[in-house]
Amino acid sequence: MALQEDNLWYKDAVIYQLHVRTFCDSNGDGIGDFVGLTQRLDYLQELGTNTIWLLPFYPSPLRDDGYDIADYTTVHPSYGTLDDFKAFLNAAHNRGLRVLIEMVMNHTSDQHPWFQEARSSRDNPKRDWYVWSDTDTKYKGVRIIFIDTELSNWTWDPVSKSYYWHRFFNHQPDLNFDNPDVFEAMWEIMRFWLDMGVDGFRLDAVPYLVEREGTSCENLPETHAVIKEVRKRLDQFYPGRMLLAEANQWPADVRAYFGDGDEFHTAFHFPLMPRMFMAVKLEDRKPIIEILDQTPPIPENCQWCIFLRNHDELTLEMVTDVERDYMYDEYATDKTMRINLGIRRRLAPMMENDRRRIELLNGLLMSMPGTPIVYYGDEIGMGDNIYLGDRNGVRTPMQWNGGTNAGFSFADPERLYSPLISNSVYGYQVVNVDSQRRFSHSLLSWMKALIKTRNSYRVFSRGTMEFLRPSNHRVLAYIRELGNEKILVVNNLSSSAQAVELDVQRYKGYIPIEMFGRNLFPRFGDLPYLLTLGPYQFYWFRLRRI
Amino acid sequence: MADETFLSDDLLRQLMSVGEVDLLVGILAHRSANTVRRAAHYVEKSLQQNFVRQRVAIISVDGGAVEDSGSDEHSGDGEPGNNSNSKGITSLRTIHRVTAAFSGAPSPGLALRTILSASDLLRARACAVVSPATSSTSPEWVANLLRPAFRDSFDFVAPLYSRHKFQGLLARNLLYPMTRALFGRRIRELYSDEWAFSNQLGNFCLNEDMWHEEPIRSRPEAWMGISALTSDYRCCQVYLGEKPPPPDGAGPDLVEVLRQTVGSLFWLLETHQPWWLERKGSEALPTFGPDHAVTAEPMELNRARMFEMFQTGVKELEPILESILSPQTLESIQGIATLDQHSFRFPAELWVTMLYEFAASYHHSVINRDHLVQALVPLYRGKIYSFLEEYADTSATEMEAVSENLCLEFERQKPYLMEKWKAGVEVKS
Repeated sequence: MALQEDNLWYKDAVIYQLHVRTFCDSNGDGIGDFVGLTQRLDYLQELGTNTIWLLPFYPSPLRDDGYDIADYTTVHPSYGTLDDFKAFLNAAHNRGLRVLIEMVMNHTSDQHPWFQEARSSRDNPKRDWYVWSDTDTKYKGVRIIFIDTELSNWTWDPVSKSYYWHRFFNHQPDLNFDNPDVFEAMWEIMRFWLDMGVDGFRLDAVPYLVEREGTSCENLPETHAVIKEVRKRLDQFYPGRMLLAEANQWPADVRAYFGDGDEFHTAFHFPLMPRMFMAVKLEDRKPIIEILDQTPPIPENCQWCIFLRNHDELTLEMVTDVERDYMYDEYATDKTMRINLGIRRRLAPMMENDRRRIELLNGLLMSMPGTPIVYYGDEIGMGDNIYLGDRNGVRTPMQWNGGTNAGFSFADPERLYSPLISNSVYGYQVVNVDSQRRFSHSLLSWMKALIKTRNSYRVFSRGTMEFLRPSNHRVLAYIRELGNEKILVVNNLSSSAQAVELDVQRYKGYIPIEMFGRNLFPRFGDLPYLLTLGPYQFYWFRLRRI
Repeated sequence: MADETFLSDDLLRQLMSVGEVDLLVGILAHRSANTVRRAAHYVEKSLQQNFVRQRVAIISVDGGAVEDSGSDEHSGDGEPGNNSNSKGITSLRTIHRVTAAFSGAPSPGLALRTILSASDLLRARACAVVSPATSSTSPEWVANLLRPAFRDSFDFVAPLYSRHKFQGLLARNLLYPMTRALFGRRIRELYSDEWAFSNQLGNFCLNEDMWHEEPIRSRPEAWMGISALTSDYRCCQVYLGEKPPPPDGAGPDLVEVLRQTVGSLFWLLETHQPWWLERKGSEALPTFGPDHAVTAEPMELNRARMFEMFQTGVKELEPILESILSPQTLESIQGIATLDQHSFRFPAELWVTMLYEFAASYHHSVINRDHLVQALVPLYRGKIYSFLEEYADTSATEMEAVSENLCLEFERQKPYLMEKWKAGVEVKS
């Protein structure tokens, strides 16, 4: 299956996020690798996803799970070789799967040769590739992101006897994008991978590229200038490749990263994500509607990326203090579940393994505007291990079957890069791909059907959205529309049955066809349309006028 | 259970949309949609600030023309709350506004019954009733009323106000001391425009088959409070602050006020006699907030006119007063009515004796009960005139001692009332 030529392919993507380390180990060293991942591509194709987003696989001391990069142009030996990657990439493309990789522009590992050179002396040619100061008082007041571990954005370097700037861990010094050499070096790195055929980059931590005194050092005009230049070159030399922004900001601030369609193609809608969880717990659509009401329109050639969970903590940076407290109290009662300003749990445990809620949230994910991202393992309802350090509890080995090491590896269990989830609820003996493949009613089967239905109608990926606002606030209802195609989505956010009257009189004469069973429902008429929904139930109706 | 047939289809539809709530606030409106809307706005702000996570709804009960009937979903006015990074997000949850509209002006009893029904159907744990006037000026009162009911499991929460020494004269001289003496609980403001209650008490009252009774129709809050006291529900008072005076010319005249309040009190004595006849002394209620305070701002009343109406009333109502009062009491009253303005005093002891005789006569229906209460009006004026004259220069603190002495007099003479109550009496036509 060849990749279709479409410069807007990312609008129709269903992205599967994974770390190669977690997916499949082919050589018995206990660590997932590209050969193993290649062996599992059929699974991803079968699931219905069409794009893979790989977390960092570069050589790294792995003190931040690979986001501390020591060499940008090869593969960490634990994951294989560059040739293994190329084989994976080709195999993915042959199955119609696109591949996004990480590009960490903001910082490197302190083990990167650039930093080793820069710190060696104040006269080194690469000195100015990083941000140095003789004091730690510059850029005062700039917030610390990893508040659980870092006390300052400056760290003293005993080698060069000065401070260096880092917005993340102290072993991740920030690159200095005021130096044109830095930009050119990063662009060469990107070209390296683009020439190989990767379909795009997730640019990590982009709001922090440039610093200026007296500012928050986030979202500065100079940062946007860097992005614009990247995009300009991408469009010129690699049309059809995509840039995805990781900018954990309020929607109005993220908007700037789309520019006039000349910066990022896509960006995560971070503030929406916790509000989906909040809405289900509150049994109130208000958080979702509120944040989408204040989400500005974006250029036609751009797209939000939406998600439920990912490799990081469920971030609560972009919520109010009241909302954060609520989320902690409801979803992270055990303080071990909390890290930085977020919650380090997977989807299924947060939903208390309630299949209905898991389905509801995935239904929202697949029907709201934006490109959906599925975090590996959530399609089978994997659990987490909050007792592993950092955010490793949501990065445990993929559970393929109930056999040795969950089918992830044939190594000795003690050798695995991470312990498996093995409790009686989420353990690999209970939750795994093989067992769920056997049953049409499994979560995996259901997810396949959901994604297939979504992929069948472009209105989900490219259509407009209009909220209906029935008086029952427990029901979230909206119309997706693209050309003549109209889809009505109705979600019961509550744990109890609900009745709702929808003002659809302007669609009088349309016949709603429930999209999973394809059954006809009574036609819309002059009166508000009465629907009843079971706990956490949702409907997708295709509206036909015949 | 709420009688769903009593509620309109439109109201039921609105309630259906609301679902279950933790807190319900009822606004008794007065035919002014703008007033209601403003009041609801302030109530909503108070709820957003004080009950952040709770499910809340506001119900306005109005009669006549209402501009915006129907459920009105609100989540704030877009003003940032007091959260950091609020970005215009004012509250966690949707706050529903529901309107119960009536074709005519609903009585307070009907309005309360509607609120109780809504509270029952919405399974609200606690409910507060507020007036549009006070909820606009003092929105934090809503939270202060709700807290004891919602968080501390009190069933009836009465307000407590900071009053000028010459404000609330009816409560100070009659309603409070008499209720205290007879029902044995020191509840100062039984007749008020705002109070709160639990769903248990609300359901209890809702299921009582007494909504047709005139005292409940006109002053349901007193009936609710007394029902709570006499049915062993937990009652308390909460300090709200300074009660704003009514707008000039607003509110019923004195005759109507006495009919509603004193008439209601006498009726409550009637309906709860087994309970209060057994009580001795009085107990304080748990009180939250600062003590009841008395301010010293001046207030204007036409005292000369009051005294004149007292004298005229005593003279012209003599035949009626003969039916109500004992000969000795009537003679005493006629005696003080001959005093000049400057030396006139209405002794506390006489005042209490007279009131108790009125109460007993009401019980025995010596004359039409409505006429009986109306006959009290000039006597009340005389008492108030005396009060204003005697305590013109009294400090706010001293006034509390005066009030306490009056209360003790009511308690001291309770056996007299009991004796009159139980005695047989000739009913005069």
